[in-house]
Amino acid sequence: MAKVIPRPDLGVWERLYIGEIFKGLMTTFGHAAKSLTNPAHFPTLLYPEQQPDIPRDHRSRHRLMKRADGSPRCVACYMCSTACPARCINIVAEESPDKHIEKRPVRFEIDLLLCVFCGYCVEACPCDAIRMDTKLAVLVGGDRAGFVIDKKGLMDWEPKDYPASDTQSQKAPGGSLNAKALEELKSGSDH
Amino acid sequence: MFESILNWIMANPYEVAALLLVPAIPLLFFNILPLLVVMERRGAAFIQDRPGPNRAGIWIPILNIRLRAFGMIYNACDFVKLAVKERFDPKFATSFGYYAAGPFIPLLVALILPAFIPMFAPIWYQSSSGSLAALAGTTISTHSGLLALFAFSSLSIYGLVLGSWASNSKFALLGGMRASAMMISYEVSIGLAAAGMFLIVGSFDLAKIAAWQGEHTWGMVAQPVGFVLFTVAMFAECNRTPFDVVEGDSELVAGFHTEYGAMRFMLVMSAEYYHVIVASALISTLFLGSYHLSPIPLPLGHDGAMVDLDDRWMRANLGGVCAFMLAVGAIGAAAFAWLIHGRRVHYNRSGASDAAMRSKEYLLYIGAIGGAAVAMAIGAFLVAGWRPQPATLVGGVPLWGGLVDVVTAVAQFHVLVGKILLVSWLFVWVRWTVPRFRYDQIMALGWKVLLNIALINLLITAIIVKLVH
Repeated sequence: MAKVIPRPDLGVWERLYIGEIFKGLMTTFGHAAKSLTNPAHFPTLLYPEQQPDIPRDHRSRHRLMKRADGSPRCVACYMCSTACPARCINIVAEESPDKHIEKRPVRFEIDLLLCVFCGYCVEACPCDAIRMDTKLAVLVGGDRAGFVIDKKGLMDWEPKDYPASDTQSQKAPGGSLNAKALEELKSGSDH
Repeated sequence: MFESILNWIMANPYEVAALLLVPAIPLLFFNILPLLVVMERRGAAFIQDRPGPNRAGIWIPILNIRLRAFGMIYNACDFVKLAVKERFDPKFATSFGYYAAGPFIPLLVALILPAFIPMFAPIWYQSSSGSLAALAGTTISTHSGLLALFAFSSLSIYGLVLGSWASNSKFALLGGMRASAMMISYEVSIGLAAAGMFLIVGSFDLAKIAAWQGEHTWGMVAQPVGFVLFTVAMFAECNRTPFDVVEGDSELVAGFHTEYGAMRFMLVMSAEYYHVIVASALISTLFLGSYHLSPIPLPLGHDGAMVDLDDRWMRANLGGVCAFMLAVGAIGAAAFAWLIHGRRVHYNRSGASDAAMRSKEYLLYIGAIGGAAVAMAIGAFLVAGWRPQPATLVGGVPLWGGLVDVVTAVAQFHVLVGKILLVSWLFVWVRWTVPRFRYDQIMALGWKVLLNIALINLLITAIIVKLVH
C-alpha cells in the first residue's frame, strides 16, 4: 500500500513567503557570520597542509617491518598471499643466508589497484612483518605499473613517523646475523 | 597650442573635471566588479560553512610569502585563463555575426547605465565667463533620467535574445526566450514600483530624487512597499536567484550562454555582474538615500536642533562628516585585522605544514590593514574640527571653493559605494538562501502579485501626494 505523505498545511504568513524568506536569510546570515568570525567552525580541512587525523587502526597502504639490520622481517611463508581475497600479493622466495631463517623474499610486490584493503594479510602474518598503518590514504600513480609497489617501496618508511610506544617494536629481533642488533636492543639504545 | 590648452585647463577646472568624469565613472564602477566576484565566492563559501577559494597566490621571493589577498588573485587567474583559452566558433550558428555580437550588447549597455546615476551632489561654480554653473554628479544629466536609464537597461535583453537565437541551440534559445519573458513581466513592476518615488519627488531626474531624499527622508521610509517591490523586481531584472531561470543550470545547461566560451563567456559574466552593481546603485539611489548619510533628521544643529543631513549640511560640517566616515572605516579595518588575527592564531594551532609561511602572510595583512585603521583614526581626529565656510555667495548660491568641492564629492561617492556594496551583498546573500522558482511561479509572481501590489501602492501614493499638495 502506498504511503500517503500529506502536504504541510501552510498558514497565511507562510503562504505570503516573504516572511519565510527573511527567516531563511537569518539562518544563512548566521552561518556566514560564524564562518567569518570563527575559523574553527569549518568542518573542512585545507587538505595537503592540514592532514586529517587518521586513527592507528585505519587500513591504508602496506609497509614491511624491518629488523634492526634493515632486512625485512618477512620469511616468505606465503600466508598473506594465501589469505588475500584479491590475490594482489606476489612473493618470490629464496633461501636465506641466515641458518636460523629458512627463507626470505627476493621479490615482494603488492598490486594496489587489485588490493581491497581488507587487512587479511596483516592478520595472517605469523611474524608481524606486514602492516597497513602508514596512514597514506591517498595513492597516486601515473600508470598501472606505478601502483604495483615492490619490496623497496614497502620498506621505504621512517621509524620516527610511528609511535615508539607501539605494542610491538618497530625493529624486531630474528636470525643469528642479527645478533649485534639484538644486543643493542637489549641494552636499550634503540627501540 | 599646448600652452593655450593648458591655460584653458587652468581657467576651467570644473569643466575639465566634468570631462574626466565621463570615462571615470563607468571605470570606477568596473572596479567594484572583481570585489563583487570575490564577495560572491567567499560569501557563498561562508554561508555553506567552508573557507572558499583561498589557494591562488602570488609568491613574493624575498619575504617568502604567498600573497593570496583573500581570493582576489583568482580574478587575475580567471582572466588569464579565459583570455588565453581557445575561442570556440560554432559552425552550426545561425548567424556567426549575431552570435559574436551577442555578448557585447549587455556589457556595452551596462557600461552606459552608471552615467545616469548621480555620484555626488551637483557642485555650483562660477564659470570663466562669470556666470553660475553646476557640475552635475551624473555624466548624462537629463530630466528624463530614470526613464532613459530604464530604456537603456532594457536594451541589454536584445543581446541575450540575439546571442541565444544565433547560437542555434535549443538550450540557449529557451534561455533567451525566458529572458525576454522575464524582462517583459518585471519591467512593468519596476516602472510601477519606482513611479511612487516620481510622484513624491515630482521629477524623473535621479539627481533631484537624490537631493529630495537628503532634504526629507530616504525613499525606503517614504515608499517601503515600493522599495521591496523594486528590489524583488531588480533581482528578476538581473536574472539572479531566485529568478535565474534564464541561466537555469539545472535545466538548461547554462541557458542563453550555453554556446559561449573563453572571452565571450567572460563578457557575458562581466555584464551580469555589472548589471548587479548598476541595480545596487539604482536601489541605493532611489530608496537608500543615494549619497546621504541619514534617513531622519538628527540633533546635530546648533544647541541640538534637528537638522536634515542634506548636501548643504554636509558641506558646512565637512570635517565632522569626514571624521565620521573615517571612524567607520577605521573601526571596520580594525575589526577586519582582528578577524585575520583570529585566523592566524587558529592556523598556527592547527599544525599545518605551511603554518610558518601563512603566519607571516597573515602578519603582513594585519600590519597593512591595522596600519590603515590607525591612519584613518588619526585622520578622523585631524579633520573633525574642520567647518568650512562658503568662499563666495553668487546669486544666493554659496560657492565653496575647490578643496571643499573635491572632498565633498569624494565623501559622497564613498557613501554611495558603501551602500552599493551593502545591496550587492544582499544580492549574494539571497542567491545562497532562496532556491530557484519554477518558471510558471515566476510569471505568476510577476503578473498576479507584484504588478497588483505595485498598482495599489501607486494609487495610494498618488492619493496621499494629491492630498498633501
